[in-house]
Amino acid sequence: MKHLLKIVCHLLFFCWVLTPGYSKNVTKLDYIYDPGQLKPVDSQLKVAPGDPAPEFSLPSIGGHRIALHQFQGTKNVVLSFVPAAWTPVCSDQWPGYNIAKKIFDEHNAVLLGITVDNIPTLHAWTTQMGTLWFDVLSDFWPHGGVASAYGILRSDGTAERALIFIDLRGVITKVIVEDINVRPELEDVVVGLKTLDSH
Amino acid sequence: MMKKLIMCCLFGFLICCSSLSFSAETSDGSILPELLLPAPENQSFRDYLGLDVAAGEMFKLSDIKTDLLIIELFSMYCPYCQKEAPLVNEFYEKIKQGPVKGVTIKIIGLGASNSQFEVEHFADTYDVQFPLFADKDMSMYNALGGKGTPGFVGYKLKGAKEPVNILRNSGGFYTTEDFIQDIITNSGL
Repeated sequence: MKHLLKIVCHLLFFCWVLTPGYSKNVTKLDYIYDPGQLKPVDSQLKVAPGDPAPEFSLPSIGGHRIALHQFQGTKNVVLSFVPAAWTPVCSDQWPGYNIAKKIFDEHNAVLLGITVDNIPTLHAWTTQMGTLWFDVLSDFWPHGGVASAYGILRSDGTAERALIFIDLRGVITKVIVEDINVRPELEDVVVGLKTLDSH
Repeated sequence: MMKKLIMCCLFGFLICCSSLSFSAETSDGSILPELLLPAPENQSFRDYLGLDVAAGEMFKLSDIKTDLLIIELFSMYCPYCQKEAPLVNEFYEKIKQGPVKGVTIKIIGLGASNSQFEVEHFADTYDVQFPLFADKDMSMYNALGGKGTPGFVGYKLKGAKEPVNILRNSGGFYTTEDFIQDIITNSGL
């Protein structure tokens, strides 16, 4: 009888382990917290095309700090601010950019992803996106300091969904502050990248 | 006592078995909504779909010449769809060879909330050889009852009075062989 029980238990265990579908059928919807429709824009921009980009130095999930000035003279820079980890739209946006490296390369541009989340949160969130080719920076402390310097810190402490294009000289060539509920189209990124080509 | 324990274990075993079938592809017998798509610019895509219309002209999904039509619901921005792309390509390569067990299967993709440019970028990145269409406002995704990406819905176009659903799968699939087998089994063809 005990032997039979053992066999049944083993069967149960293997069944549980081998049950397909669970991980395969996990879609992005399973992890995401949906805050619902938000006020499209909730901040006052402090920068405009032609302005020098406010300098910053932020920790990255790669374990090092990244400063804006280190790209001056060598690379154009695109800052992609997204409101928060584990939320809709944001969780899509960077995985899309992750298969668009070629487009950024064509314009000699690096992409820096920035949110106001802390490093452990960003690590967990971006890990499920796969291996990202671009750096992800934490504007967690002082909270939203960089977002605030650019005028894209919302009243609830999250950042706007914004793209800032900065040329080799460190000058802003284009600013896109998108409705927080909407993902900017890839075409918008291409249009922004083209503004970098003249310098 | 021991008998009860064994009965409990057997019950659990049955529950596990039922979860196996639950996570496999299912169908709901619903009718294919009348959705219109623009005929692809690419002549080889129009040939693949068996369309007798000019590029850009609208056609109905039910106009596609096939026994079974599989629609992949994806997004360029979805990392799971990106990961799934090679397997979906493998699926396409297998079904494009000709009828499987006498059944013709064709696949198209709908880029949920994607622009045409984004869909083309996805196709270029993953060398997708079957037709992909933009569904920017997600109207088709919603009409087809999409529940996350990637997802697959399938319809039987052959033999039925109206195209009827034979597949509804939220998430990816494991092997192309099993996926094809499930589709054919569900279709009853």
